[in-house]
Amino acid sequence: MFLIKKSDVGKIAEELARDHQVYGPMIEKGSGQTFFDRADDVSEISLSAPIPSNPPKSVVFPQMERVLAYEYDRPKNSVKIEPDYKVEPKALVGLRPCDLAGMLCLDRFFMGQEFVDEVYLAHRKKMFIVTNTCVAPFKQCFCVCTDSGPAASEGYDLNLTDLGDEFLVETGSEKGAVFAAGLGLAAADDSHLARKKKIVDKSISLFEDIAVDSKAWISRVMNRVTTGFVKEEVWEYIGDQCFECGACSFVCPSCSCFNIADVTNPECEGCADRLRSWDSCSYEGYSRMAGGHNPRKPVEDRRNKRFFCKLSYSQMKKYLRPGCVGCGRCAWVCPGDIGLPNVVTYVRREITR
Amino acid sequence: MSQVLNIQDGKIVTVPEVATIEEIRDEIREVKTFYLSIDNREIWSGFKYKSGQFIMLTVFGSGEFAVSLPPSPENDRFHITVRTVGKVTSALHALKPGDKVGIRGPFGNGFPFEEFKGKNLVYVAGGIGLIPLRSSIVHALQHKKDFGRVLVLHGARTPDDLMYKENLKEWQSFEGFETYITVDVSTPGWTGETGFVHTLFDKANLPIDNTVAFVCGPPVMFNTVIGELMKRGLSDENIYSTLERHMKCGVGKCQHCAVGRTLVCTDGPVYTYRQIKTLGEEI
Repeated sequence: MFLIKKSDVGKIAEELARDHQVYGPMIEKGSGQTFFDRADDVSEISLSAPIPSNPPKSVVFPQMERVLAYEYDRPKNSVKIEPDYKVEPKALVGLRPCDLAGMLCLDRFFMGQEFVDEVYLAHRKKMFIVTNTCVAPFKQCFCVCTDSGPAASEGYDLNLTDLGDEFLVETGSEKGAVFAAGLGLAAADDSHLARKKKIVDKSISLFEDIAVDSKAWISRVMNRVTTGFVKEEVWEYIGDQCFECGACSFVCPSCSCFNIADVTNPECEGCADRLRSWDSCSYEGYSRMAGGHNPRKPVEDRRNKRFFCKLSYSQMKKYLRPGCVGCGRCAWVCPGDIGLPNVVTYVRREITR
Repeated sequence: MSQVLNIQDGKIVTVPEVATIEEIRDEIREVKTFYLSIDNREIWSGFKYKSGQFIMLTVFGSGEFAVSLPPSPENDRFHITVRTVGKVTSALHALKPGDKVGIRGPFGNGFPFEEFKGKNLVYVAGGIGLIPLRSSIVHALQHKKDFGRVLVLHGARTPDDLMYKENLKEWQSFEGFETYITVDVSTPGWTGETGFVHTLFDKANLPIDNTVAFVCGPPVMFNTVIGELMKRGLSDENIYSTLERHMKCGVGKCQHCAVGRTLVCTDGPVYTYRQIKTLGEEI
């Protein structure tokens, strides 16, 4: 544990920028919105900025990414085929705890299941993560309900907590410890940890009543969703409000469904880049097979699928935690007002009725 | 990239292996069989699969699709049988012997054959539903002594739509193998049975005790056949099928084939009807 002066905290990103491409939350001029993006100028990274509009998942799982390329030379009847993706060391500075929880979901899903996704692994291996404790919740935050905030507990290399006049720097990995030691910082002691605890407790107390109130309900709703006791009418009610825009999936830190397409080169008949891109289970074409048969046609079938992914025990076994990390972005972007908190409310309404 | 990761547990995971189309045979209208072999001899000799598994086939310049494996895992020539249903399958049909394709896999669970020893096996296939069952049928034929009665019941729309006609003939002459065929609509010259495939059950004196049934075909046929089998007393855990879903990765990541709490690519494609009932989705 170390301490770093507020005026010096930018040095962490500067130091990481020596051998990493640095990403972090930055406030966009004009719109005033925060986005998590690549920082060409690391001084633009803001540790006091609100939760970014987009999760950091594109850093490790790009929205569109070439995974391989092939060339089929027909006259010679030979095929050249090789993996082709760009990986560089990346440092994520100022990650919010919910977003880290989302990334840990992706880690366990892409690297911890039957097959290891080598593209994801390649990105992830070269990553340095600096998290930032949320000293106060933002609008729509409910990480207290999903055990993913307001402070990170695992998975970071460094964790920063704003103690007022200085930041507490905790190390969470060998890599983080080596890096922190290299910064020549003052040591922190238990009193600082106690101050952190106080700050986190205060942060928890500041959550909206609805979030605090929902805390116990999330697990009851998970039980209902897992056991399939949610009535069809409830899914229909939810499905009726879905615009099938896919925004919830795109802003979700743990959503990872993707599509794969071979994009051909018009100048070379047998050449293509195999691209994978984010997809959403809300789209009608998501489960449609060649020939037109679609086993999951009604929109409520597809909505049900997403919330099953976020709130069921069977999915929890893959993520080792709930699929929802309580960032509240889906509620933020959903034009139909069926972000996850509302879905919990609807299911809860059914239970209490 | 590490080649170690491309082959995981004997399966080609990310980068397809180049394979050559050795021979193409016409089966029925819109359906052809492609005999293939992987060019890299070392990988080809290590390419082992189970009945009921599938591969991802790349048609270069077009795309990739999931396709079941009809050959038996032993002593059978490697092939796939494909109907033209969309863009990539049509591109495959346009290829000629000698052309190259890409193979990933094999993926999926396959049939749990060790559980079937000593049992009667009933295969009920509607139309091209015989394709994913062929591997298992030939395997049963190769190991006939391990099983009780083995029945293949195949129904198609017309006599021209009967799959694997040559195989059906072979199987008919194999001792201890019972093959029953029917068509929905007869054509001039057809002397066999007419009617849906479940109408063959009485004629076949369908065994129920100590029996496992494999059902594959279009959704309507599937539901009718299952209903009839259950009515006769076969339990849902002894009815097997292989599900078909839109698939992209084949290795449990893209989630396109999610059905209920399972993924067809890694948990399936072989399911018992007892499992299928709990998935909460259409066939």
